[in-house]
Amino acid sequence: MASEDPADALAAVAALRRLADQLEDAAVEQAMRAGWSWPQVAEALAVTRQAVHKKHAKRLIAAGVTLRRRA
Amino acid sequence: MSEIDLHLQEVLGRAEEEAAQDGSATIEAHHLLLAIAAGPDPALTAAGLDHAALKAALRREFEHSLSVAGVSLGDFDLPPATRDPERRLGLGASVKLALDRMARAHRKKDLRPGHLLIAVLQAEAGTVPRALALAGVDRAALIDRVRDGLAGR
Repeated sequence: MASEDPADALAAVAALRRLADQLEDAAVEQAMRAGWSWPQVAEALAVTRQAVHKKHAKRLIAAGVTLRRRA
Repeated sequence: MSEIDLHLQEVLGRAEEEAAQDGSATIEAHHLLLAIAAGPDPALTAAGLDHAALKAALRREFEHSLSVAGVSLGDFDLPPATRDPERRLGLGASVKLALDRMARAHRKKDLRPGHLLIAVLQAEAGTVPRALALAGVDRAALIDRVRDGLAGR
């Protein structure tokens, strides 16, 4: 860490979480557009298939991404 | 519906749009501040914080905080994610804290729009005070200016 100030370190954690959320949305969309399945994306993110589906399915359907059902 | 309820509803609606544009899962205090700045708000404008300036200040805070961990936004070039236009965003912890501060400080019938802005500006830690400090804004003086406006001075 480039700072001794706890406020900076805590703010870095908050900013990294925000960035991780943004990256997850972009990366999952990119993978699904490339033909990945939900189980593959879930395994790559180390989360359950249900979790990744619940978080992203509606958004990707709205985006017009063709979703594969199986691996 | 009372005037303050209408104001809260309008500002929270606008803040939800700001949060959605930001790709955020929740509405946070900085989204509320952006919504108030879009009003526009005379005290914020006088402090040099119109909507665009505040947005730039928040961006700098994000980049600055990431840099503490050695991360640069420029290192990522994934295409932006598509948003779900139907999704309703909940209130984040920083907005709940600001609303609590406002509710504790005033009786409901005395509440006016400036009280919401003061409650947002009173946060001692987090994105809002950091972004304002980076932008060189004197938060205490800004709060005083909003108070003066409420008192008709």
